Formats: sequence, C-alpha cells, structure tokens
Amino acid sequence: MADARAVAKADFAGGFRKRSRISPQCLDLKLHDMKTIVVGAGFTGIQLSRSLVASGAEVVLVENDSARAAVAREQVDCAVVEADGNNPATLESAGLADADALVALTDDDEVNLITCALADAVRPSVKKLARVRNYAYYERTARPELASAARRAGHSRPVFGVDRMLNPDVEAAAAICRAMEYGLVGNVIDLDGGHGIAELAVAPGGRLDGVALRNAAERTGRRMLVAFVSRAGEAMLPDGSTTLQAGDRIGVVVDAGNRDEMFALAGAAPEGLPRRAAVFGAGLVGRFVAKRLLADGGQGEGLRALFGSTRRRRREIVVVDADPARCREAANALPGARVLCGDVTEEAFLHDEGLDACDIAVTATSDTERNLVAAAYLKGLGVARTVALTASASFDEIARKLGIDVAVPLRDSVVDAIAGHLRGRSVHSVHSVCNRSFEIVECDVEPGSPAADRPLSELSLPGDFLALLTRAPGGGPFAVPDGSTILAPGARVVLVMRPGSPRAMRVFSKP
Amino acid sequence: MSAILFARVFVCVCALASVSLALPLAVAAYDGDWRAAAAFAAPFAVGLAAAAAIGVRISRKRSGNHDRAAAAPPPVPGDAIAAVGVAWIAVCLFGAIPLRVCGALPSIADAVFESVSGFTTTGATVLADVESLPRAVNLWRCETHWLGGMGVIALVVALVPMFGIGGFRLMNAESTGPEKGKLTARIADTAKVLWTLYVALTAAQTALLRLCGMGWTDALCHAFSTLGTGGFSTRNASIAAFASPAAEWVCTAFMFAAALNFAVYYRLLARRGEGVRAATEPKALALLYCCATALVAAALAHGGETAGRSVRLAAFQVASILSTTGFASADFATWAPVAQATLFALMLVGGCSGSTAGGVKVVRWTILARQAGVEVQRMLHPRGVYSVRIDGVPVHEGLVVRVGAFVFAYLALSCVTALAGAAAGLPPLEAVTAAFSMVGNVGPALGSLGPTANFGALPAALKLWYCFAMLAGRLEIYTMLILLLRLPRCIVRANA
Repeated sequence: MADARAVAKADFAGGFRKRSRISPQCLDLKLHDMKTIVVGAGFTGIQLSRSLVASGAEVVLVENDSARAAVAREQVDCAVVEADGNNPATLESAGLADADALVALTDDDEVNLITCALADAVRPSVKKLARVRNYAYYERTARPELASAARRAGHSRPVFGVDRMLNPDVEAAAAICRAMEYGLVGNVIDLDGGHGIAELAVAPGGRLDGVALRNAAERTGRRMLVAFVSRAGEAMLPDGSTTLQAGDRIGVVVDAGNRDEMFALAGAAPEGLPRRAAVFGAGLVGRFVAKRLLADGGQGEGLRALFGSTRRRRREIVVVDADPARCREAANALPGARVLCGDVTEEAFLHDEGLDACDIAVTATSDTERNLVAAAYLKGLGVARTVALTASASFDEIARKLGIDVAVPLRDSVVDAIAGHLRGRSVHSVHSVCNRSFEIVECDVEPGSPAADRPLSELSLPGDFLALLTRAPGGGPFAVPDGSTILAPGARVVLVMRPGSPRAMRVFSKP
Repeated sequence: MSAILFARVFVCVCALASVSLALPLAVAAYDGDWRAAAAFAAPFAVGLAAAAAIGVRISRKRSGNHDRAAAAPPPVPGDAIAAVGVAWIAVCLFGAIPLRVCGALPSIADAVFESVSGFTTTGATVLADVESLPRAVNLWRCETHWLGGMGVIALVVALVPMFGIGGFRLMNAESTGPEKGKLTARIADTAKVLWTLYVALTAAQTALLRLCGMGWTDALCHAFSTLGTGGFSTRNASIAAFASPAAEWVCTAFMFAAALNFAVYYRLLARRGEGVRAATEPKALALLYCCATALVAAALAHGGETAGRSVRLAAFQVASILSTTGFASADFATWAPVAQATLFALMLVGGCSGSTAGGVKVVRWTILARQAGVEVQRMLHPRGVYSVRIDGVPVHEGLVVRVGAFVFAYLALSCVTALAGAAAGLPPLEAVTAAFSMVGNVGPALGSLGPTANFGALPAALKLWYCFAMLAGRLEIYTMLILLLRLPRCIVRANA
C-alpha cells in the first residue's frame, strides 16, 4: 500500500508542474477579505490588527479606554470603536452580524470569556477566540484530549462559545519548543490515523545522497513521499527533479509501517536529542517547556512513543529558578526533571551543576533583560545553544548581537497563534517546519470552495502548496493523492505550504 | 464539658462490649456450659445496666436530642484523644471480666493481658492449652480481635449518630496511618462503609474455611482472627493443627487482604479504579511480600524442604508476620537464621495504613525510603529542590518530619519495652523480639516465646507493661502518651 502511494506521489511531484496549468478561477481569487472584530487594543490587539490589515483583512478594534483607542487609531489602519467590548450592542455596531471572527484580547480573562459568550448568544456562527491567562480556565477546555467525549464529537457547544482559547504562556512555550525542534532532529509531526511527517537529515554518502526524487524509489528500493527540502537554510517544495544532497533536511511522510525504514534510509542516526537541557525560570513557560522536553524523551503518545524506542536516550532536564517557592512548585509538577534553586549569575553554582556544559539552555523567566543577559552569559560559558524568551520581537536584533541562537518573542507568539487560527474556519492544525519557512496545515475542503469536486491537478499553485495526504469526508484513513484525486466537500487535506499563503488557503475555503 | 464526652464514649463502648458478649453467651447457653454462660451473663447485664444508668443521667443533664448533639462543636483534640484512650482501656478491662470469672485464666493480670492482646489484635496468649477452653471462651477471644481490628470507636461512630463531626476526631485517634481522611462526606457513613466491608470479608472467609473442612465455630473464630489481624486460634498448634493446605492458602490470602488499606476496596467497589492504580502503598506491600516470601522460601528449600511446601510455608508465615496476625503453620522459631531475621524485620514493617494491621505501616517506610533517596540526590546536587511522592502526588515536607518523629517514638517505645523485658529476666533475643512483637501487635516472638510457646510464665508486672505497649502500638503511640499526660488534669477537673 505504501509503495503504490509513493509511486503515485513521485509522479505527482514530478508531474504537476508541467501537466497542470493554473486555472483562471484560482488565479483571480481575492486576497484575505476576512472580517474580524478585535476587542482590546493593547500590545497584542494592535499587533494582531496590524498583521491582519496587512494581509488584506477588514478589522474593527473595540477599546473602552480613550487613550488606548487614540493610539490604536494612529497605529492601525482600521475602524476603532471606543466602547465596552462586553456589550452585545457594541459588538453589533462593530459589525458582528457579518463578521467572520471575534478575538477578545482585553487584560481581563473574565471579560474576554464573557465577551465571547455574549457574542455567541447572538451570533453562534462567528468564530471566537479569547486570550486567557489563567491556566485553570484553559487546561481542560482548550486541550481536546481532556475535553469530554460529547465535546470532542461536537455534540456540545464549547465553553462560553469560545472556539479557541489562547494562553500566552502555552503559546510562548510552544514557540520555544518549535524553535528548539530545529536542533532536536528526528522531529515528527503527528497527524491523525498513524501518519506523521518526519524531519530527517540526509547523511553524506547515505543512500539518499545525490538521488533525484523521481528516481528515489528505484535507487533505494523504498518508496518515499517528500514534503519539503531544506538546504543550507533555504527551504523549498520538492518536485520530481529535486536532487537530494548531503546535509539536506527533508520532511518525509511516514506511517506506522515505515518509520524505522525512513530513518535508516537517511543514512545515519539523526543528530540526537540534547542530552542535557537546562531551563532557567520555573514559571509557567519554563515548566511547560520542561514538560514538553520530558515528554519527548520517549514517553509521548502515538507515533512519538513508537519512535521513542528507536532513539531512546537518557535525557537530563534541569530547571533552575532563584525563588524557592517556584522551585517547590516546579519540583511538584515535574517528577522527571531536576529542579535547582540558584541564580544563573553564580558561576560556581553553574559549574558545580555542570550547567555550563549543557547542550541547550532556555532562559524563560518573566524578565526579558535578564533572559537576554543570562542566555548571552551561558553562551559565553560554553553552552552549545541558547534560546531566550523576550517580551516582543523588537528584542530580536539585540539578541542576535548578543550571540543568542534564538529569541522567542512572547507577545508575537500569541499574535502568530491567533493569526494562524484565523486563517480559515476549516483549518484544524498548523505546524511550522524548516525554521518557519513552511507550514504543515490540516484543513477541510469547504463546500463551494474552488477545490471542491475538482481534481487536484486543476488546483495546483506551484511553489505555493503541495497536497500530501487526503481523507474522504467523515473520517477513514489518510491516502496519498495524485493529480486526478477529486476532493469532495468536507474532505480533510494535509498541505505543506508557505506560511499563511492566502492563495493556498483560498483554494480550500469558500470565496 | 469533657466529662460528658468521657461519659458518652464510656457508655457507648460499655453498651457495645455488652452487646458483643451476646454471641459467646448464646453459644455457652447452647452448649449447656452454665459456668461459662454465667461468666458472660454477669458482665452482659452489668454493662447494659451501667450504660443505661449513665445514659439516662447524661440525657437528663443535657436534655438535648441527637440533632443538637450532632450540631455541637467537636470536642477539643486533647479530650477526644484522651477519651479514646480511656475507652480502649475500659473495653479491655471489660473484656477481661468473663475470661477471669469463668476460670479460664489463673489471675487478673493474665486475664487483662489476654483481653488487651485480643482487642489490640496482638494475639499473644498466656494459655498453654486453648483446646480445653469452653467453646464460648475461644469465640470471645477471637471476637475481641475482630472488634479491636476495625476499631471499637469506629463501630460506635457507625452505630451511634450522636457524635456528629466529633466522631471524626474520635476515629482519627484510633485509626492508623500518617494521614487520615474520610471516604465519604459524613464520618458516620465512612465508619459504616468500613464496617460493612469488614463484615462482608469476614463472612466470605468463614464460608471458605468451612469449605476447607473446618467446623463452623473454628471457621468463624479464625475469620475473626484473620480479618482483625489478631492471631488467637482455637488450637494449640494454630492453623497447623488443621493440616489443610487449602485452609492455609485461604488464611494467607485473607491475611494479605486484611493488611491492605480498606479504602482500596471502597474505591474498587465505587469504581474509582484509577485511584487504586496510582496507589503506592498496596504496590509497596505486594512487592515487599513477594520479596520476603521468595527469600524465606529459598531459605526453607535450602534447609531441605520440598519446593511446594517451602513456598506454602513461606507465603503463610510472611503474610502472618507482615499483616501482624501471628498465625503459625510451622514453628518458625526453629527455622534457618536468615528466615527468622526476615520475619523479625517484617514485624517492624506492618501492614498498610487504614488496615487492621499493626506495625509502623508500609506507607511510613515508603516515605522515609524516598526521603533517603532524596538525601542522596541532595548530596550530589546541594541546590536541588525535591519532592517525595506518594500515589503520584507530592507530600508536603512536614509530613516527612512527622513520619520520622513517629518512627522515632515507635522505636523508642520498643526499646524501652525490650529493656523492661530484659529487666524481668528475659534473654536478649526474647526481650527484643517480644518488644517489637508487642508494640507491633504481632503476637509471637522468637526463641522461647515463639509461635508454639506462650507468655504465661512471665512476671505479672511485665505482662502489665506489655499491655501498655500493645495499647500504645494499636493506638499509634501518641494517643496513649497524651492520655498519660492529660489524665491527671482530667481527674482534677472532674473532682473540682
């Protein structure tokens, strides 16, 4: 089965460029014309509105503070309503009736939730997003695996009608983990039905070195479907003529049967996970990152757990904080991690605990300056890679100058996450790969969209997206499509695409 | 205020003990043994009358109904603890009356020792020949185990609604384990749940033992002894007298079951299985049991026993000592030193918290063992912050200190008891093992106080000290200490 799929894919990848022509219906698609109401014009609200306006969306900002509203009017090219957001009349006057989405970003969790609940009572069809800082509100309502069965099956409305809650700490931790993933080779993105996309490095002299994708099947005796190729920091969508070179990082579609083969095929074991990782700051972000690192150590679920057996190595996660109370909380919450109470600037402490020799250090306290200084200091002591959490993207340049490998902006990661979820009502999940050059997007084909009931070959936008897997409406296993695959409305499709490519998204959602 | 509480607890316990005499009384009457019947009838009548008299006085004085009593504030902790201590002493003395009156025991000290040994579920006897006793007396000895195992106060709280929330403090002063809680929202319901489970298990074991060929009385007596983790038997040679491997296996299984926390059964029945899966203590007990059994069985097989018999004997004896029951299917005082040493070590461990077993309790050792692991880590990483986890949940640091203090108090009492034994002329082995056996409510010791021997030859003063040690062990040390510290003050106040 896997073979047939791979052959079909090789044809598809090699073929659609010359065979398919872009149809006029696809070309004259309007760019993002989504209508969004943003409640709360704080930093995140303004940043989000800016990025939405830039991508062509129509935005209405609602803010009850006149000073903030004035700033918003100056900074964002959108309508600003100066009124309370938690008032259905205000929302109606802001255009809730024909809005696609409502994003509640005030400083108050409860106001955000109530705003969504009120909007939900009037307009249940509007997609609603709320920022919640209280993790207790978020934990069981936003994580599908913890929700009730009725909720998972879509039989009950979400809490307060909020389609998606966003917790800044969780988003920041996810952003840090994504940033680390690029170094933690062997990363696997789990998709439904046992499929996944494994990120591999092509080893020098390995069987994939110098192989053109269209010949890959006969040269290696294995059929493979390559989602993306990253060479010297530059990522591209492959076609049949793409020739793999040593050092390339490739994303390969894998399923339960061929994962180990694919890893073996890449020639060598992946770079290996960091043996010692240190997380400075035992706040929520630090704890989430540590938890994620611990979970990746072979105790994950699904595909990850199976992979764990082939690459299980003892990993040491150290969490450091200067505050004894936070250390105690972290020790209680993270059974597998070593929690140390100490200051990052104490050299003797770092040396005694061997923290100056760890493979990766993440500085994730609530203090941006401290994170930057600590990360730079650790880098100077000899830590291989450092990741620093910063307040916003304006610190990126400073971080680069200080020699920090990755700076993760807290507020911008929330904006990114919201923007990702606003990309379309039909989008189920978005995974960034190749240092954010590409995204793996799981979405549904909406009835009436350009893609509905049309063969894939008529839809293709070379260089914009590649359909990797499709699934018939209503579930069932994923299959690898070819140019003649016709997507029924409601079918699930997994795409690899440029981040936020509006043209690609428009193909699958209603015009 | 506290006088009324004392009186109330005393009345309830007296009434309970009197009512529980009805079973041996009926058996004695059925057997036509009128001397025994009279011995049971006298305290039965006196106890009921005293309870009724004091009860009437209390109700006149308070002229309150149960609802008002239930709404009353709980007794101050010191009173509740002292009341439980007094109640236990009272019930032990009360239980000794029929034993002495019927002439089964030669002296008052012997009768008290036998009664305390019964109610504290120790199971050490002063009698050389229990087979010659009237059937009713043996039934009463085993019934004391059964009452004392789950706790007389728990039974009172379950049956008498007048204690209200005060029952929680009373039951806490009696129940075992480092942390006490309620299974149900109301403490009386918790007590009822525990006693219902207890009765059901007893009925099950009685039926199984009957199927293994025991008579009804023997089956009931041994079920009482097993579930209470006591150890009195109706035969001089204990379970070995029945020469039935099936009965031994039934007893082994139920001894192990009685050593488990009864909350485990409640959770299983209430379909809260995930809580059981995460439970540390039953797992630790099972692991310890398997390791100890393997070790003892290996020692026995090395000594020339067949493999099957080695495993059977080891499984039985290890369950008997670990659950602090004290039954014997063989004379382990003559076994290889390594087997004896293993059993002696198990005397210190005891069963799970919230079980009827004695000893320090598995969960306390688990906490201390994990803390020891933490200390090792702390040597390597002085700045580390660690937490000890039980049932997957971190315990607060204060608990570790409390457990350490408890183990100190337990060992200190054991050492003093060993000194007392040595002062009374016991050889070192007997003095030390008997001390741990008494404080741990196990029953048999090693050497000349082994499972086939008895405590009859000891001086009366030592017997009385052992009574104190058994009560202190059953009520987990502090209750008796507080009683000793508080009793003089209470007497002064009552006189004033």
